[in-house]
Amino acid sequence: MKFIKNHLMFILPLMAILLGVEFYLVFDRTTDSYEKTLTEGYTMLVVSKNPVKLETFQKLNKHIITATQIERNNIVSEVAKGISKSNSEAILKALPYFYNLGLDSYLKTSELDAIKADLKADSNIKKVETFGSSYNSSYRLFAFIKLILKVFIIFMAVVSLFLIIKQMEIWKYAHKERMQVMEIFGAPLMLRSGVLFRVAFVDAIFATMFVSAIFFYIKFYWAAQSGIDIMQQNQEALFQVADIGILFGSAIAIVIVAVYSVVFSNKGVQE
Amino acid sequence: MSNVIQASNLTLAYDNGAKEIIKDANFSIKKGEFVFITGPSGSGKSTLLKALYGQLKPTSGSLIVGGNDLANIRRKKLQELRTHMGIIFQDYKLVNEWTVSKNVVLPLMIAGYSNEIQETQARRLLKHVKLSEHGEKYPLELSGGEQQRVGVARALSKNPVVILADEPTGNLDDYSSNVIWDLMENACQQLDTTVLVVTHKIPTIFSLPYRHFIIESKGVYEVH
Repeated sequence: MKFIKNHLMFILPLMAILLGVEFYLVFDRTTDSYEKTLTEGYTMLVVSKNPVKLETFQKLNKHIITATQIERNNIVSEVAKGISKSNSEAILKALPYFYNLGLDSYLKTSELDAIKADLKADSNIKKVETFGSSYNSSYRLFAFIKLILKVFIIFMAVVSLFLIIKQMEIWKYAHKERMQVMEIFGAPLMLRSGVLFRVAFVDAIFATMFVSAIFFYIKFYWAAQSGIDIMQQNQEALFQVADIGILFGSAIAIVIVAVYSVVFSNKGVQE
Repeated sequence: MSNVIQASNLTLAYDNGAKEIIKDANFSIKKGEFVFITGPSGSGKSTLLKALYGQLKPTSGSLIVGGNDLANIRRKKLQELRTHMGIIFQDYKLVNEWTVSKNVVLPLMIAGYSNEIQETQARRLLKHVKLSEHGEKYPLELSGGEQQRVGVARALSKNPVVILADEPTGNLDDYSSNVIWDLMENACQQLDTTVLVVTHKIPTIFSLPYRHFIIESKGVYEVH
């Protein structure tokens, strides 16, 4: 019972940190695809006196990746219904050129303002409409959710780290006698800490397996049957094989830090 | 005969030199000698022993053990030096979660001897200290005298150049104490091992010729 408790006291906080890592990975992948959708759906409107090529827009700002001209004839046909042909030709002649500009990524509103300023610096550009308010509200909501989740993950990791340190104190006490005796008889560091490394390594494997199993279940069983659109659409992002490596790597890194903190705090020579 | 231990102007202190325990001590101990160090409580007997196995660095002067100056020794070299020492403690310092056999062969395990050699040596040493039937027991299942015999067996397991003993019979009855003294006399006589014992009182039953140092008022003096 004591043996199981000792292991669980290390495995559970380690799992909490690994869950945080995996949540971050999943959220990062999900938000990446969401950002991509938002970016693809967003365009800014530019009105110019004369025709402008994409290269010219790109010279003004490197974030612009597409420039689609809005057909002027369509605009005239919409606004000049019932007007004589000569008048509509006059309207067409006087009408400026309209462009929808696509951007390379999901930018902050301040960056949109910078693009607007760059474009307006060209005398040929008459007007730039960034649709800032609707863009801004989606961006803020998106950034808020992202921030909340990051704060939650960091908080969870910090609390778990404290629990691990607490467990390290117990390990330190439990292994102190043996490690000190071994040190007195000349055992090198690796031999003294061998048992600790073995225990912690096994715990790291178990923690990685448990977290992987949880996300495996979420991906293949829960998400598929949940009926939640966003879960089903992003099922691929929920868990990937490479995540096992990242989780195990993180667990091993935590284990190494934890074990060395015990080993070095048990050093014997007094200066 | 060469000196196994040589102290020159040795000063030992705690709290970064603030609390001096031994000051400007000079003494030397040769191979195969049996040495008692006595002195009142708190005089620095155990502190000197700690310095001899490298647990406390000399504040000044030099303390040479087996040709290594412990004032400037590197960690790796100190580890190696300790594998040539047998150390016996008043509180035994056995690893309670290990069997008696495993405790006995700890120095061999550290030196990387094979399991087969370790098992053979454990049997031989436990027979030597008359604990053959207790090999698979754990230290806390033994009496104090038996635990100390395990400590002696551990100290002897790698034929050490020097045995350092800190009040080895301090917690034992007369019978168990006599057994321990007997074992240490044998080690000194048969293996030509230098034995240095810190104790309150020199045992009356002791039959070997020995040297006696006393620690008093921070000094280490030989009693003739």
